[in-house]
This record gives sequence, C-alpha cells and structure tokens, in this order.
Amino acid sequence: MNTATPPLTFKSYFGNIWTAFRTIFKGLTITTRYIVAEKPVTIEYPEVREVLPELSRSRLYNDVENCIACNQCATACPVDCIYIASTRRDKEAPKIKTKDGTPIRLNLTQYTIDTALCCYCGLCTTVCPTQSLTHTTDYEYSQYTVDEMKYNYLEEDIKAWRDRIVK
Amino acid sequence: MAFDLTNEEKAESPYGDEEKIKSNILTVNMGPQHPATHGVLRVEIKTDSEIVTEAIPHIGYLHRCFEKHAENIDYRGIIPFVDRMDYIGAMNMEHGWCLAVEKLLGTEVPRRAEYIRVLVAELQRVASHLMFFGTYSIDLGAFTPFLYAFQEREFILRIFEEISGARLLYNYIWIGGVWNDVTDDQLNRISSFCDNMEDEIDKYHNLVGLNKIFVERTARVGVMDKEMCYDYGLTGPILRSAGVKWDLRKDRPYSIYPEFDFDVPVGTGEQGTVGDCWDRYWVRMREMKESLKIIRQVLEGIEAGPVMGKVSKIIKPPKSEIYVRTECPRGELGYYLIADGGKIPYRVKVKSSCFTHVSALPAVAPGQMIADLVATIGSIDIVLGEVDR
Repeated sequence: MNTATPPLTFKSYFGNIWTAFRTIFKGLTITTRYIVAEKPVTIEYPEVREVLPELSRSRLYNDVENCIACNQCATACPVDCIYIASTRRDKEAPKIKTKDGTPIRLNLTQYTIDTALCCYCGLCTTVCPTQSLTHTTDYEYSQYTVDEMKYNYLEEDIKAWRDRIVK
Repeated sequence: MAFDLTNEEKAESPYGDEEKIKSNILTVNMGPQHPATHGVLRVEIKTDSEIVTEAIPHIGYLHRCFEKHAENIDYRGIIPFVDRMDYIGAMNMEHGWCLAVEKLLGTEVPRRAEYIRVLVAELQRVASHLMFFGTYSIDLGAFTPFLYAFQEREFILRIFEEISGARLLYNYIWIGGVWNDVTDDQLNRISSFCDNMEDEIDKYHNLVGLNKIFVERTARVGVMDKEMCYDYGLTGPILRSAGVKWDLRKDRPYSIYPEFDFDVPVGTGEQGTVGDCWDRYWVRMREMKESLKIIRQVLEGIEAGPVMGKVSKIIKPPKSEIYVRTECPRGELGYYLIADGGKIPYRVKVKSSCFTHVSALPAVAPGQMIADLVATIGSIDIVLGEVDR
C-alpha cells in the first residue's frame, strides 16, 4: 500500500496553496448562491404544519361499528400488538350489518392496540375485510406514560376521534 | 504528556532522560455514543500519542435477533423486520427478501411491478449515497453539505411516502409485486428530479470532493487495496473503489437489470492511491449518476398493467433452500433461506455487507492518526442496524 505523501517541492508547496485557495473559493461561491438566491426549505413546525400524503401511515383507527371481530389483523400483525376479545351474539338479538353489508355475528368486547408496540407496517389494514381498521394521517399523539398508548377503541373518548381524523 | 520519570523508567525509556517523555499506550473508547461512529459502534482504540496502534470494533449494541425472530413470523410479516436491518436502504433490503421468497415459490412478478421495484431501489440507492455524502462531510468537519444533501434526500423520502405510506421503513415491495401503484404525476416529478439531481451531484463534487482540505483528509488515507478486499470479503463500493469492476446488477443479474444500460464506476486513484477514502467517496458519487441513468430508462420503459402477481393468501414454499444475493447501496446482501414446507421459515441467515466491512477495520487502522480513523470509518459507510441485525 502506497500511503506515503509525495515529496514536497518548492513548486508543489505553492501549488498546494494555490489549489486550496481556488477550491475553497469555488465552494464558497456555491454556498453564497444558497444564501442569496435559494428560498428556505424548512418550515416552523408548530405554527406551520405539513399535510401528510393521503396514504401516509400514522395512528391506527378502528371504526368498531364496522368491525366483525374476525381476528385477521391480530394474526397478520408481526409484533402482536392487537388484542381482540369477543362473544357470540344471541340468536334472538336483532341482526346488524356493517357498512358494506357483512353481517356481524360476534359482539366485540375489547379491541385494544398497543400503539407503543406498533411498527406501522400496514399489514393489518390490508387484510381487514370490512375496511374498518385504517391508518390515519394523525401523527401528534404523544403521551406521558406507556400505558396511555394502549387504545381501546370501544371507549367513548377514543370514538370521539372519528370526527376529527376519519374522512 | 510530560512526566518526571523515576530512574528505572529513565533506563527503560527509549527517549532517554533528556526528552522526559514517557511513551505509553493509551486506550480510548470511541463510541458507542460518538457522532462519528454512525450509530452504536464502539471502537476500542489503543493509541501511541496520536497514532492508532490497534482498533478493535465492538458490535452488538443494536442486536435485535432478526434471524431468530424470522423463524417465528410468516413470510409476509418478515418484510417489516427486513426494513429495519438497513434503515437507510430499506427498499433494497425488501427487494432481496422478496426475490428469495419468490424464487422458492416460483411466482411470476408482473412487468410493471418489476419496473417499479427497480425504480424505488435505485431511488433508495441515491438517497443512501446522499446520506453518506452528508454524514461523511460532517465527519470531516463540514456541516453545510449535509444540509444540501438532505434537501434532495427529502424529495425522495416524500415520493416514497406518497407511494408507500412511510418515509423510512416502507413495507412496500411485497412478495409477488409491490403494494401500491405509482401515478403518472409522481413519475413526472421523479423525472424532473433526475434532471435536477445531475447538476446537484456536480455541485456537491465542486463543493466538497475537490476541496483541498477534503482531499488532504481523505486521499491516501485508509487504503483498502484489491488483495485486502479479497481477503476480507469486502463488497460494493469499497471493492469497486479498489479497482475491481464487480457489480451484482451487471455480473449476476437479477430482476430486470440486464435490460438497462449503465456503467460500473471503479476507483482510479485520481487524487491519491487506488482504494483510498477519496476513491470510495468518488465511486459513490458516480454511482448516483449511474442510478439516475437507470431511473431514466425505467421512466421511459415502464409498462401499464397490474402491480401484484398471483400469490396465495397463505404463503407456503415447498421444502427447499436458497441463497439470493443482491447489490445494496453498501454492498452485497445475501439471504440464505431454508423452508420446511410450513407457514414460517425454518432458518433465515443474512449475509450483510456492513458486518464484513467493519471486520476490515482492525487491518486498516494501525498506523493512522485518530482523525484519519474517523475518516476511514465514515468512508466505509456502515449502518449499525445491518451490522448487528
């Protein structure tokens, strides 16, 4: 391996200085152009908010009225962060259907997603047969404790998101 | 360090008692929380004043048991985990994995999906090399190029977010095709990005690559020559910078790469010797241009049609094993996959390029200055997620 620097001669000494000046000047013209001519590309976040693309995968939302408790999302989840519990519906109970006409045969008693565990891969939403489980574009949901990241979508206060984030 | 020496030490000291300098080996830990180690790599350096006599990389701080995890998840569910190995080049990781499973299954991938795969893989390569350019200049004390590089990288990430839904960990390339189609508007924007990017790369090269300070820091530093690359199994831009024309996209073609016309840039030792840090930088910059060339050809040739092939709902490859390797931004990525006929793989072994690249560090480091070691680590461009897995 030839890692030795070539010997320093009178010519190369001044040549190096000249190259250094020339290349640094070249670089500085580029940065100066950025200062003068280019517009800023950053945004000031809390005041200016970017609208995420429609497909963007952020917080999960399950519209429990359309959920048939088929358990497919929990099976597809690679990190097992979806917890579903359901009971069989009485035969005498009035027959209900989801938005797209699938009959609901199970009563959902728990639908919890541990958002802190979720890896936002989107595998659960693609297997959902009634499209009740969707990724929203809502990304501002930090909490103080990890337990608060567990959302049971049957609770009233979480159902209230629907108006805010579901189109 | 100057010490008052005892008589015994004076007798032992090679400098004699006049110098009053005691030469002692000092052990310094570089990392794991060091900005120049690109993640959680700890390098134990034994230094003789400013000269590094030994450098021992300690890895494993980001170990997430990918290979064991993969034995418990179905083939589709592994894709998000594959993303998290090399999080700077996630599309390329997915591409390799899907090729491996598709080969086991014998699935046909639609033409449009193949085009989109190559498109996103090459865009990801550009994004990854931009990341290298930005962080490498930070390692060497220049902050501005980082911001310029990220401005362009942001465009790529935004396009990925629109087509795949995520900025970094996409889960976009699926077994049998891709998840979502690309619209014409997005293709037009990528096309105009390509035109813009050519000039940007020239600009970056003028700003950083030809700068005398940068050249002095990188030329003739951390030379990894051809023999060393063969000995340690170094691949990707490092092997090419040593003057070996080896690119899996050309030499062991996969996907639809044989249809595209592109060159394989190799290191020539323009500023110093062949295989030094400057060559590695320059090979990557030229690779970006080649990637843009491929992207242009994709945009011209892309065909209409479905983006998802016929894959059964439950993926059950027959009992077999396979080794598939692809060219990732950092080098050669290999998946060795054993299927036992069930829903989950029996064994997944990943041959990651970064791991082998880190293993060459103890061979390059001795005799360097500490600052040169920073330049060397930066130039081999490691992602610790892929090293530890």
